[in-house]
Amino acid sequence: MAKARALDRRRKSIRNIRKITRTMELISTATFRRAMDRALSAGAYAERLAELVGNLSRSGLAPRHPLLEQRPEPRGAALLVLSSNRGLCGGYNGGVLRLAALRWKELRSEFENLRLEVAGKRGVAGLRFRGIDPDRTFTHFEDRPRLDEVEVLAKGYLEAFGAGGLDRLEIVYTKFESLSRQSAVSETLLPIGGADRGEGEEEELAGESGYEFLPSAESILAEIVPMSFRVRLFKCFLDAAVSEQVARMLAMKAATENADQIIAHLTMTYNRARQGQITNELLEVISGAEAQNK
Amino acid sequence: MSELRCIVVTPERTVLDRQAWFVALPLYDGELGVAPGRSPLIGRLGCGELRLETGGGPERYYIEGGFVEVLNNRVSLLTERAVAAGSLGEPEAREALAAARGKLARSPEQMAVRDRAVDQARAQLRIAQRNPK
Repeated sequence: MAKARALDRRRKSIRNIRKITRTMELISTATFRRAMDRALSAGAYAERLAELVGNLSRSGLAPRHPLLEQRPEPRGAALLVLSSNRGLCGGYNGGVLRLAALRWKELRSEFENLRLEVAGKRGVAGLRFRGIDPDRTFTHFEDRPRLDEVEVLAKGYLEAFGAGGLDRLEIVYTKFESLSRQSAVSETLLPIGGADRGEGEEEELAGESGYEFLPSAESILAEIVPMSFRVRLFKCFLDAAVSEQVARMLAMKAATENADQIIAHLTMTYNRARQGQITNELLEVISGAEAQNK
Repeated sequence: MSELRCIVVTPERTVLDRQAWFVALPLYDGELGVAPGRSPLIGRLGCGELRLETGGGPERYYIEGGFVEVLNNRVSLLTERAVAAGSLGEPEAREALAAARGKLARSPEQMAVRDRAVDQARAQLRIAQRNPK
């Protein structure tokens, strides 16, 4: 009976694991819904802002702002990596860290003064393992990053950029493109690139200009540019949070399915072993009886 | 009569999206009233009260900074914070004002930060007094 009992024990423990992975899948599905709503509304905000900047630049005003200008001799840079605090989310952290390590090497050869900032315990541990020590770490961003928490970071970067210690800010995070597609990307947040700011709408709205500006286009621009940076940073955090939930959802779904398969397989082996044992015992009894008959 | 569509978005969510026949919003230097058919406008918002005259009576919100765009009878407000005026409490607002006044300010930047905080707290207090819970 020893073997059948061992199989039964294994089956029980796999059932327990299956319960855990199934629950985690359900939890991340629920969190994902909320995170997704937030990401979408932040997206709406960013879109409106880009539209506004587009309208501004069409009013004949060349967008000129310190945050938009490339520095002639860049020296200081920062690399911000967004990873998760918890594991069990498939290739989510792996993808981010692989890209981060790559960018880190590239940026190191370009800039004398490079700082590495990492959000998420997994990222910190993973990069340390690769022999890269982060200068600053954040572990307080959970699955719902709040605007005021991100704002603190944004303010720090803007100040450093203004003071001249920081000439470039790059971020490595997982972009949420659709439910079935998230990819680790690296983007330059500062200086804000001119290419991706509201050029798509240029033609659609071209007929409608002649805005009235209160107080003036320049002063609005001066405020709107830092704001669009803050919103982009916030959007990155939200995207990363959504992607994490999706990754965990998929990983846990796969784990649950795997557990189902193993349970089915173990059940079959268990039944077979039990049958084999019964047959064995029967044979022993019969052969014993026959031996006495002779 | 044509109506205005008023949309308020913050980075965290879309707070408001509805029809109104008149919107009064706080610009950086005072209140601006928008009626249907207003010419296009982009403006900077201050802290204060956003008032909507809708079919169901007036609605009031407190908003904090940001921008407004008026185009084709659509009023979009991009703001950092927007809450219903009734949810602001007077004691809390008073406390915020005292805290803001008590802030140390030793450099021009710090002064600007303090002034902004005082402005925000004053606007909150004003709205809280006008719209008791």
